[in-house]
Amino acid sequence: MANPRALDKRRKSVRNIRKITRTMELIATARYKQAMDRATAATAFTDRITKLVADLSSANLSIDHPLLEQRDSTENATLLVLTANRGLCGGFNGNASRAGVAQHKVLTGQYDNVSLEISGKKGIGLFKGMKSATPDKTYLEFEDKPRYEDVEVIAERLLEDYAAGKIDRFDVAYTKFISTSKQTAVIETLLPLGSLEGSDSEEETSSGESMYEFFPSAESILEEVVPTSFKVKLFKCFLDSAVSEQVARMTAMKAATENADDLISQLSMQFNRARQSRITNEIMEIIGGVEALEG
Amino acid sequence: MPSLKCIVVTPEETALETEAEFVALPLFDGEIGIFPNHSPMIGRLGFGEMRIVSGGQTKRYYVDGGFVQVNDNEINVLTGKAVEASTLDANTAEELLAEAQKKPVTTDELLATREKLVDQARAQIRVANKPNS
Repeated sequence: MANPRALDKRRKSVRNIRKITRTMELIATARYKQAMDRATAATAFTDRITKLVADLSSANLSIDHPLLEQRDSTENATLLVLTANRGLCGGFNGNASRAGVAQHKVLTGQYDNVSLEISGKKGIGLFKGMKSATPDKTYLEFEDKPRYEDVEVIAERLLEDYAAGKIDRFDVAYTKFISTSKQTAVIETLLPLGSLEGSDSEEETSSGESMYEFFPSAESILEEVVPTSFKVKLFKCFLDSAVSEQVARMTAMKAATENADDLISQLSMQFNRARQSRITNEIMEIIGGVEALEG
Repeated sequence: MPSLKCIVVTPEETALETEAEFVALPLFDGEIGIFPNHSPMIGRLGFGEMRIVSGGQTKRYYVDGGFVQVNDNEINVLTGKAVEASTLDANTAEELLAEAQKKPVTTDELLATREKLVDQARAQIRVANKPNS
């Protein structure tokens, strides 16, 4: 028969763990809301840039820029994997890293030199564990509130390398936030950019002269818009990843709390049974003793 | 006279949304002043001071490049950074300048980056040192 005291001890420890996971869930919920607000605030900028591009393309301007063109050279590629610094968030880090490893394999097949950059302690650890590749650069400074200034530094460096021909392709593996119940690990090619959002609306508006005056010229503005839109896109990846991390942690901790609840009720039942059977045993012994005395 | 609507957005947030009578912005090659009923325009911004006059009061900000779009009495400013001039510190800006000037200039690209950083730091010093009018 199970020992009621051992059962009680286990129940206590499960209760403590439940407290921790419950608190973590609450913290993750609060952080998720903050991260979500930041992500929504960032869309204001993206929307305006898109509008600007649409207005630019109405000026009968052919949109071409070195950053938009596909390159034939297959020498150098860079892959950036975005993960979290902390664990306890379900499959978040694992999924992003797995997507990264797969893409790394694909890239090594196509390109001569593939450099790998990882953001987040967990991703670095996972890549080390899988022994598939060693990262060339790692970032630890991105927590749940990535700052544009920090991302801009990375973006500037990538743009410089791209312009100098040190990079021919730049991919990001990160967890895209689709809805609160769905986040998927995706790969996105950010360099070359392919096309600018808003530039396809050309058909409707290209008929007449643009009503805008351009300072200094539409071409020169376009030259600035393209790198900016790349930076913002990269920043958006970081934001998405931060939101997804908090959502993942929220769900994981919620599941853990529920699991602890189940365990507690199960242990309580076992504990009560064990106690009852012990009492019954003792009563039987007493009755047995009394009967022996009487007889 | 209609008033202007001035919206300043950075990638992180909408930094400012206000009514104004007059807005002065640093374009890439000099300052531009915008009164209501300005003709539609799109311009490239440089580093420097943005002044917003509303209700007779002038507010000063430092903007870090980007674009401006004026249409229908609405000014959209897209910039990497917009900070109030009073929060800028001349000393940190001086440090930035000193750091920028130390960068190597062995190639054309490096020279361009250095120029940009120097301009940026100088503009910050200018805005920070200007007395509040």
